[in-house]
Amino acid sequence: MKLSTLYLLCGDPDQFRRAKAIKNVLIGRRTVSNLYWGLEYDLLSYFGVLRNFSLGDEQATIDALVRAKMVIVDEGLLYKLTPEGQDKKQELSNSLGATKELTTVVKYDIVRFSRRFIFAAQVISEYSYANSQYYPQTIGFFDDQLIKRWFIQNKERQLPQYFHDLLENFLTSLNSDLLANIFVQSLSGHKFSGETEEQIATETGLDPTIVQLQWLKLYAKLFLQLHDDRLTPLKLLLSDLERPVMSKSAQQTFDLFISQNKFNPAKIAQVRGIKLTTVLEHLLEAAIIQPRGQFPFDRLLTSSLKTKLRDNQSKVDGEWQFQDAKAHIPELQFFQFRLFQILERKLGQND
Amino acid sequence: MIDLNKELHKHSAFKSFRPGQEEVLLNLFAGQNTLAVLPTGGGKTLLYQLYGAITHQRVLIVSPLISLMQDQVGRLQYLGSKRVVAITSAMDFKERTAILRNLSHYQYIYVSPEMLVNQSVFPFVAQQNIGLFVIDEAHCITEWGPDFRPDYLRLGAVRKQLGNPLTLMMTATATQPTRTDILQRMGFSVGEARQVVMPTNRRNIFLSAKVCANQKEKNDQLESLVSHLDGSGIIYFSSKSQAEQIAAMLTQKTHKRVMAYHGGMDNQQRFRIQQQFMNDDIDIVCATSAFGMGIDKENVRFVIHYHLPNNIQSYVQEIGRCGRDQQPSLAILLYEPNDQYLQLGLIENTIPEEQLLSYLYQHPNELEKNDAFRVIKYYYDTGKSFEEAVSIFDQAKKHRIQELEAIIAYIYTTGCRRKLLLQHFDEVVNNENSEFCCDFHSDFWGHWREFNDHYLKGVKQVKRQRSTDWHQILNNLFLLKN
Ligand SMILES: [Zn+2]
Repeated sequence: MKLSTLYLLCGDPDQFRRAKAIKNVLIGRRTVSNLYWGLEYDLLSYFGVLRNFSLGDEQATIDALVRAKMVIVDEGLLYKLTPEGQDKKQELSNSLGATKELTTVVKYDIVRFSRRFIFAAQVISEYSYANSQYYPQTIGFFDDQLIKRWFIQNKERQLPQYFHDLLENFLTSLNSDLLANIFVQSLSGHKFSGETEEQIATETGLDPTIVQLQWLKLYAKLFLQLHDDRLTPLKLLLSDLERPVMSKSAQQTFDLFISQNKFNPAKIAQVRGIKLTTVLEHLLEAAIIQPRGQFPFDRLLTSSLKTKLRDNQSKVDGEWQFQDAKAHIPELQFFQFRLFQILERKLGQND
Repeated sequence: MIDLNKELHKHSAFKSFRPGQEEVLLNLFAGQNTLAVLPTGGGKTLLYQLYGAITHQRVLIVSPLISLMQDQVGRLQYLGSKRVVAITSAMDFKERTAILRNLSHYQYIYVSPEMLVNQSVFPFVAQQNIGLFVIDEAHCITEWGPDFRPDYLRLGAVRKQLGNPLTLMMTATATQPTRTDILQRMGFSVGEARQVVMPTNRRNIFLSAKVCANQKEKNDQLESLVSHLDGSGIIYFSSKSQAEQIAAMLTQKTHKRVMAYHGGMDNQQRFRIQQQFMNDDIDIVCATSAFGMGIDKENVRFVIHYHLPNNIQSYVQEIGRCGRDQQPSLAILLYEPNDQYLQLGLIENTIPEEQLLSYLYQHPNELEKNDAFRVIKYYYDTGKSFEEAVSIFDQAKKHRIQELEAIIAYIYTTGCRRKLLLQHFDEVVNNENSEFCCDFHSDFWGHWREFNDHYLKGVKQVKRQRSTDWHQILNNLFLLKN
């Protein structure tokens, strides 16, 4: 995918945003800092949405966007959209449409689902022509086995008819010939090899990255439809695709934290045999990811500390730094500072 | 005595053997280790597929590239063998472990030399009974070649550890010194292995080359050729970005359907473009030389080199991808004087400088960290001193430059190109056909459009009407029984 298109889509005309952090959010590099910036830029619900893709180099991309006068930059690879950039963003957003389906991509491995589906469609297409001599796609050992198993279990179930009807109905329901065409070109099968995103882009005038994002959205939609269909013969193709919202270890820490024992961070570190700093990072991750009501901020931030922090924050222009606050409140720890920022951000979102 | 023709019909869709195939199989069935030099498209896969199908024995194939292995696994499945697997470095640990645990379920096992010598892989392979040990692209064993892979040099020892199984070494082109080198490195003394060497000459490929004044002229010439030549074509580049740029330029300026195809693309894109090319949905691919090692398209009509090939051997291999259907085909080498500097730069880049070598010899733990240091690591590990290593790389560089000079001499030759090419393989041109040979015998460049009309246009090519309506596409994808 083209990182430049993604930077435009995730950019803002008023706020300087961190190019590195945005890329890390999209590919799902799970650090507290990345999660925090995801929250700050309202991109948290897309955390890891593009983890299956390679996105290119951030410096080179930003340089190219500057040359194209789409963005201006500040030190440390921070960027902000120019009016031209904002226009381009609008144009891209319009061709992409609603992004709600992309949140499904965060919860399930939709790319993997699409590869399975496309391979299964190829197998069934050739099968319907009784052709056994063709070049199969390579989708990895495990999924290869899965498709074999699925085919053996289901081949009595009129699969060509099923695939045909499923796709006819699904594509009709999109109410868009453009989207339906983009979708069918992702398939391949008997005497049909589909098209790459570049080829579709040339024909439709869309940006190739928008074509790829449309594929993601469409396969997410198809996945949800099949997910709700208890009778589909494609059940096996939907297995083992869940992605946890929190890392396993952070979840364990959080569970202990909110358990009836109300363990404090030091106790959790002792019980789990991990470092205190790790526990604090886990708690920050939980504070960012959990809905506000689910995380007991008050157990870690006293109201007097909150008042002091709020007072200091109001005096700072631009990006509020830990050093500013620390100078004012000597006993302040970075963990508390970050947690407070998360809380403020969450309160702001609910306004 | 085994009836090979009967077996061929039983296990494949081929009606007859291609030159050399039967001889190689007879050698193998007589228990003879064999070095087979068969031209590109000479049906190398069929050799071990058939051997495995007839004997029901396990076949272990060492192959240099992941993309090539995937193509080969696909090809073997296409030919009807389902118990095929490739062990590659692209797999994650879980996947590899699962495959290694189930290795006995597979009859055809592909593996890269690096994977095979890997201590976490080799014991699993060594447990299997190997009926046939196949070394594909065996020229990678040659130290002076641009494709040199140090782990190929360990294959002789690996073969011993596997209990000296029957061995088939294969390559598309090999000069006499290369052949001797392959056998020696694999630990065979003279007489211990048979050689089946098919002629390099491909009489149905017309050879031509053109010197352009500069890049602009080269681009114009290319555009004009692509616009007017009929049939499918491959254009070779030495860089991915150039392949992409020129593909875009040709798409814009000609009516042909042109796509770039190279190692930087993901599996899905590669698969799609490969299929489109096979199905004649696109006319031309702009490729880097890694492309097409595993592609088997019969009706490629022309191969154009936009950049210089690595050497004469590679050139012969690459042009060998046209005209597999034995119909008249065309090889063109376009050159402008700056191309030699580009090629020299590539040589410089692949051969380490003395300074780097010196640093790495003083900090040998750095050798682990970068795959690009694999060759250096090999010499370090085998006890070569710094001075020896410097001299080895120096020699390799000189050798590569000589190869480059040979290619440039081919371009500027004022004699028959075929004669010159074949000299490198100690072959002579029999039954010279000066009407269809090369641009020395006639004014090809003044009349290439007539050449096209006469030789390339006549070859029938079915252009399929591509549907763009999604209902129609769905109906065609799934044949429904009513
Ligand atoms: Zn000639």
